[in-house]
Amino acid sequence: MNQRERAGVFQQEFFMSALKSKTKPDVLEEMVEVLVRTGRVKNKRIVLEAIQQREVLGSTGIGKEVAIPHCRTLAVSSLCVVFGRSKKGIAYGSIDKKPVKLLFLVVGPPIEKTNQYLPLLGRLCERLHHAKTRNRLLEAEDYKSFLEIMEGGE
Amino acid sequence: MGRSQIELLVIYQDIHLMLQDTEKEEANIGFSMEGKEKLLQAKKEMEKNIDIRFLSAYKRLATRFKHPIVPVQDGTCLGCFAKLPTSFSARGRADQTIFTCEQCGRMLYWVE
Repeated sequence: MNQRERAGVFQQEFFMSALKSKTKPDVLEEMVEVLVRTGRVKNKRIVLEAIQQREVLGSTGIGKEVAIPHCRTLAVSSLCVVFGRSKKGIAYGSIDKKPVKLLFLVVGPPIEKTNQYLPLLGRLCERLHHAKTRNRLLEAEDYKSFLEIMEGGE
Repeated sequence: MGRSQIELLVIYQDIHLMLQDTEKEEANIGFSMEGKEKLLQAKKEMEKNIDIRFLSAYKRLATRFKHPIVPVQDGTCLGCFAKLPTSFSARGRADQTIFTCEQCGRMLYWVE
């Protein structure tokens, strides 16, 4: 994914620097709500259910205070990534049992021309594996800083 | 508010594809996949809420197509790219009932 494609995926309207929710179901709903508000999702129930069913398959809390809830669903027409941050942390049932502070909600359509969904998930996992990236994301003051971190090399 | 049949079918397909497609690929990325049995169970439970006529039609389509339900974009079936009649699209949006593409037979879902 090049810089232009990344800028297209990580949009300002999907940048949530201070999540209000304290529980896993609430935070998933809060993040999906952004997609509804911005007109990217018309049917919130379908998206929420697909995300929740994906969590049944296995927690998307990948450890190190990071979660990447994701799903493919017909209820969206293009790939969307919502970034959310909770400085206090959210009990998420992560693999390391630690609360989650950085969340990336990835929702894509099942039929996707550019086929970015899985490569994007892979790159996010890889990037968030680095402590430096995670720390910088926790401190990012605004969308511009966030984008620089996500676009920068590690 | 209860879910419509098309909503149930869309979620059913989402789960089906989740199990079919992503299991291997996502496990390779590093996501945990220990709940496969639970998800299969959830999918089975969901079948009880879907009208048997629609479920049979879905299963029949699933033998021919990877995506038995496809989105409609700009009045086009994204399964076969046939242009749908304008009146048909308007009805599909309003009714939220189940429509099939006259060309390929796939079920249609209006995303926008």
